[in-house]
Amino acid sequence: MNAFLAVLWKDLAIEWRSRDRFAAMLVFSLLVVLVLYFAAPPSLDAAQNGYVPGLLWVAYVFAGVLGMNRAFAAELENDALSALALAPVDRGFLFLGKATASFLILGVVQALTAVFFALAFTLDLWAVAPQLAAIAGLGGLGIACAGTLLSAISVRTRYREVMLPLLLLPLLVPVLLAAVRATTQLLETGSLPWPPIQMLIVADAVYAIVSFLCFEFVLDE
Amino acid sequence: MQRWKQGTSAALVGLGAWWAWAVWHAPLDAVQGVIQKILYVHPPLAFAAYAGFIGAALAGGLFLVRGNERFDRFAAASAEVGVVFCTLMLITGPIWAKGTWGKWWTWDPRLTVTLLLYLAYVAYLLLRSFTEGSERAARFAAVYGILGAALIPLNYYAIELFGSRALHPDNLERGSLGEGMGLPFALGVFATLAAFAFLLVRRFELGELRAARAEQLARVAQREGA
Amino acid sequence: MSGAVVRATGLAKRFGPLAALQPLDLTLAAGETLALLGPNGAGKSTLLRLLAGLARPSAGVLEVGPDGATRPARRAAVGLVAHATFLSPQLTARENLTLAARLYDVAKPAARAATLIEAHELAPVADRAAGELSRGWAQRVAIARALVHEPRLLLLDEPFTGLDPRAAEKLAERLATQRGGARAAVLVTHELARAVQLATRALVLVRGQALAVAASALASTPALESAYRDAVAALEAAP
Repeated sequence: MNAFLAVLWKDLAIEWRSRDRFAAMLVFSLLVVLVLYFAAPPSLDAAQNGYVPGLLWVAYVFAGVLGMNRAFAAELENDALSALALAPVDRGFLFLGKATASFLILGVVQALTAVFFALAFTLDLWAVAPQLAAIAGLGGLGIACAGTLLSAISVRTRYREVMLPLLLLPLLVPVLLAAVRATTQLLETGSLPWPPIQMLIVADAVYAIVSFLCFEFVLDE
Repeated sequence: MQRWKQGTSAALVGLGAWWAWAVWHAPLDAVQGVIQKILYVHPPLAFAAYAGFIGAALAGGLFLVRGNERFDRFAAASAEVGVVFCTLMLITGPIWAKGTWGKWWTWDPRLTVTLLLYLAYVAYLLLRSFTEGSERAARFAAVYGILGAALIPLNYYAIELFGSRALHPDNLERGSLGEGMGLPFALGVFATLAAFAFLLVRRFELGELRAARAEQLARVAQREGA
Repeated sequence: MSGAVVRATGLAKRFGPLAALQPLDLTLAAGETLALLGPNGAGKSTLLRLLAGLARPSAGVLEVGPDGATRPARRAAVGLVAHATFLSPQLTARENLTLAARLYDVAKPAARAATLIEAHELAPVADRAAGELSRGWAQRVAIARALVHEPRLLLLDEPFTGLDPRAAEKLAERLATQRGGARAAVLVTHELARAVQLATRALVLVRGQALAVAASALASTPALESAYRDAVAALEAAP
């Protein structure tokens, strides 16, 4: 438990001091929204805009991938990765610490992106803000868990940062589909639909459990 | 190994011949015509493709727990053979789609899941080749394989429930197979699995031979150089 | 047997087809300092990383610290000083030490960090970011970090590189006090003089194979040099 808090504190403290990962994620996310606005502008006829909530998740996933890449890239300096590997704890707790830190950073980026998105696509997201936050949180949790595990793997391969999206995106499909469906139905009906939320919870649980158990092997030499 | 090779050869030849006969004699579908006979090929391929990935995941798990490199070599073989069958699925799928619905590609759940499985396979194989150090590659691949296998059912459900809305009325459920289609279908499944086993055994043997050879060369190199 | 800090039987490590470490039996008791000698690529770092718990053995049994400990518990008994410093560059030296204390579940981490800063004379750099420190200072912080949890086994992979003579002497002094104490140490070094100064035993590794050097050879540097040459020749001639 101590180790979990120690790693969580370390990542957040480092991020707080330089804020470079957060800034990169946020700027990138906003740029994606901008590009999407020009690439797929919403029509004046609201009935044709069913695809729009999905665009928000495009921005979230891209920002997430960018952020997860940086999660372990920093640990390569001074071999801080081995420093973590040396800790006399179940390495799953180290995973939880890093994943939680990533989740929190991503969460802030998600919130700010949603504001910009609402402005760009003229959506009233404020009315459903708590429910949207829940969906974004569950989706973000999936991205953070799978992303942390695969980031630890991909930084030690030959094409580091290119490897992560290759590995991560096929696995994020259930989360993405469920999150988009939930967001779309939330905006259409104003209430949270249960089936996609259920899928999100199940997917998150699978990612978290498998990653926790496998992290011992991932941090070996 | 010899016995496995002989056994799988026999199974493949026997089941394959029987299956070919059954397909030839199967009744033509009134609506779809002869193209419908892909039914006897395409879904069976799915069994093999999934078997490949699940085999890789299970063998990977055993490797992580036991540390025996043979498990890793089996996982690699299973994945490589599986991706072949997955590729065949991606070829026969659109052929069937074109014949049945007139379009080469639709976001039908099964086609989509096949595509995602293929992407996961490719990512798995890329991970193996881009990781330096065979032991590290084996460990990473094992972890990814386990995660991927855990997610295949989730992928499937997600696409079924939330994916494309253009769900085509594919009646592939067992109960709705027409008269005389049961036997060739079942044989198709077994024959394809036999083909899978046939290739798997040989690919595994290849991996074992390569490892033995590499070890030999390494020992010689160690002895001669510094 | 259970008093020994390290008990290894048939310990081996392969990387694919390459045998980095041939099966090795090793027992290390408290107070002993083992010098690992040998040419580059001989497997010294591999052995060290196995002892540290960073890598899993391909074969054999390895026990470090208490009997029958799980992998995480074994890591609790070990402190490692390697080429890399393991310090997070954005955190200060003090924060790095506090973090290490928390990772190792040390009671009162901040106080422990303060104690270490004093004991290793790190006050001048305690509150500077680790990334700004010179190699020598960073190495000294790294050594303090390795000792944060009072490990029973201290592993040192060429710790004198990058240290100025004064710092090197201080480190050597500190290591000399380990001899006969409750701690065991393994020292990888190229400098035979250091081995003579600090070690109680020596092992020569060539291409993954080990040969022990007689304790008498550690009496003086020329004696060790000659014993080392003989050992390397013997190992290179072996099949």
